[in-house]
Amino acid sequence: MRARSRREFLRVASGATAGMASWLALGRAPAFAQKRELTFLSWNHFVPKSDDELRKQAEAFGKQAGVTVRVDTIAHLQLDAKFAAEAQSQSGHDMIRTHGAVPFVYENALADVGDLVDKLGKQYGGWYPFAAEIGQTGSGWRAVPWFWISFPATYNQAHFKKAGLETPRTWAELLKHGKILKKQGNPVGIPISHCSDTHSTYWSVAWSYGAKVLEADGKTPAINSDKTAEVVEWYKELFKEAMEPEVLSWDDASNNRFILSGKGSWIHNPISPYNAALANKQPIADDINHHNSPAGPAGTHSGPPILGLAIWKFSKNVELAKEFIQFLYRKENFDAWIVASNAFNHPPLRHFADHPIWARNPKFAMLPKEAEFAHARGWPGKPNDAVGRVESNYVLADMVAKAVGGMPTKRAMEWAQDQVARAVKGQLKA
Amino acid sequence: MAVGSRAFEAAGLGPTGRLARVHEWWEQEHVFGYGLILPALLLLACLVAYPFGMAIYFSLSDYWVGSPGAFVGLANYREILGNEVFRQTVQNSFVFTAIALTFKTVLGVWLALLLARNLRFKRLLRGAVLLPWVIPTALSTLGWWWMFDSLYSVVNWTALRLGLMSPPGPNWLGQAGYAMAAVIAVNVWRGLPFFAITVLAGLVSIPREYYEAAEVDGAGSWGRFRHVTLPLLKPVLAVVILFSTIFTFSDFNIVYVLTRGGPVNSTHLFATLAYQVGLNGGNLGQGAAISLFLFPMLAAVVFMQLRYIRKE
Repeated sequence: MRARSRREFLRVASGATAGMASWLALGRAPAFAQKRELTFLSWNHFVPKSDDELRKQAEAFGKQAGVTVRVDTIAHLQLDAKFAAEAQSQSGHDMIRTHGAVPFVYENALADVGDLVDKLGKQYGGWYPFAAEIGQTGSGWRAVPWFWISFPATYNQAHFKKAGLETPRTWAELLKHGKILKKQGNPVGIPISHCSDTHSTYWSVAWSYGAKVLEADGKTPAINSDKTAEVVEWYKELFKEAMEPEVLSWDDASNNRFILSGKGSWIHNPISPYNAALANKQPIADDINHHNSPAGPAGTHSGPPILGLAIWKFSKNVELAKEFIQFLYRKENFDAWIVASNAFNHPPLRHFADHPIWARNPKFAMLPKEAEFAHARGWPGKPNDAVGRVESNYVLADMVAKAVGGMPTKRAMEWAQDQVARAVKGQLKA
Repeated sequence: MAVGSRAFEAAGLGPTGRLARVHEWWEQEHVFGYGLILPALLLLACLVAYPFGMAIYFSLSDYWVGSPGAFVGLANYREILGNEVFRQTVQNSFVFTAIALTFKTVLGVWLALLLARNLRFKRLLRGAVLLPWVIPTALSTLGWWWMFDSLYSVVNWTALRLGLMSPPGPNWLGQAGYAMAAVIAVNVWRGLPFFAITVLAGLVSIPREYYEAAEVDGAGSWGRFRHVTLPLLKPVLAVVILFSTIFTFSDFNIVYVLTRGGPVNSTHLFATLAYQVGLNGGNLGQGAAISLFLFPMLAAVVFMQLRYIRKE
């Protein structure tokens, strides 16, 4: 009995192996999956319904074009390593979702999408300049701006009411209010750690104080300045008087938990905590509200995350991918996708920005205004790969963390200046 | 040696004509012997030697992901040696490895001695001890990450309730010293079973007679441990420590999941910094140079320990 079952097992196993071998030898998937396939590597959206809508549209496009469209989503922090692997091995997905300086770092590996950018821009009232910049490298367009994520203030209005406070209009006022709120047991929270929200807030605060990281030429380090010193001093005081030390260990989700736990009173963050509270029917959704990013002595500025769509040069489906991108930008599709994200995905094209979803909800009404003072990272210079390295090496976060931890501000800035210079020195030759 | 011909016979192929000549050639000891090693050699060449050679080549070039690079000599090494973040990483790596290894050795031997006793549920216990080693690191570290969370830390909650800490308790992943303690603790927790089980195997192989003889000579339990157990365990311990040094030095998962090298790079190890610079930053040349720094150090450790083992 035992012998026979073993033989049977071997027969089945060898059959399976042979089948596998012929499949591998042919270099293609078995017959049922032989339809032409377009693949897209994206992130796990912070509002999951947005990905559901994306997959739905991908399927609709697939049906129409007679192909299969596969959308793979992974955690946002893992995208960089995956991109590196795909660019290096010249294989993988056809399309990727870019962030930060990805179009610049991979300038040589991404296909030109200038025709598409032109066409869509003309069709829908033009691109917001700050959003368009993230795709335009020295040698042409490497990404189609897809959406940007407004980075306003998210606050708990019950805590503010209890303290008898209005929402802060300036970063200095936030410090003043924060001290009172912390005494009340409801500190404010801005991460000073190895996470991407740290960057987003740092750029906003620094610009509001007139500080820069690089000069307008995009290659002269400019972080060691009196303006930056003001920013760092502001961070130091906020850390000591209005926040908890936990901000030194935060990741991108920590501030969401902080406000949703009911403890925190104010965070600098997109509307995802509010959307999460709504989706999970948490009563705290009623207390959460938003207001525009605060101003500083040099005005209001914001450095929202701006994401793009890019196509690998090695892809055999470049034209098909372009068709798919155009399909996603059809008015009805883009609108449906904004709705699915519950106002989280902001369009980089002016005509799409008129969507009523923002005006309809008083808690969202001020969000489109963020576009008026948004810049791509690296401003007043154009974005480039050196800016990307400053971020991926967490130079801004570490400079502030060092100062907060007791290093004299001057020395922390000198350290950052050295790191920025190193990021520039390694600059990519296109 | 007629191993080859036996193999042919077993396969039912009698030596006839041309086949016979192939058979004769194959039968020679040096051909057959090398034939047997060949698959392993090929695997080593493809999976170890080739990537290693590529890494050396990358480290000597200004290679960027997605774009070819030119030969730049030792520029990458000079650059990283001049970078404070790298120097801190070297220091972190030594502190991390030295402390974690000490704890793992001491606790591992201790645990092995306990497991060697005739306990009830012996098999169950021995199996359970292996759990931290068996669970995928990334998964178990996520559990730890949650336990060290700044807002919901169960470690702080428990210690506060027991009166062991004063509120709010340490900020585990946000302060340099605590963060290092946290990553070391998780590394020790994870690596302990490997030590304990391997040492246990060594313990079991020590003949009972030695202990009996020592007892007759009037040795107490410490004396028996000091003069019988420890000397006989030395070869096993040396091997375990050798392996563990390599694993600990090149750790990635624990630091990556818990702190991403933060706060302020105080927990970066070679592997996490190389990942940050090479893959996330796109600077493959420098990333390769950082990870290659591990090689001479580990080679020295391996060399010393292997020499020691041979002497034993």
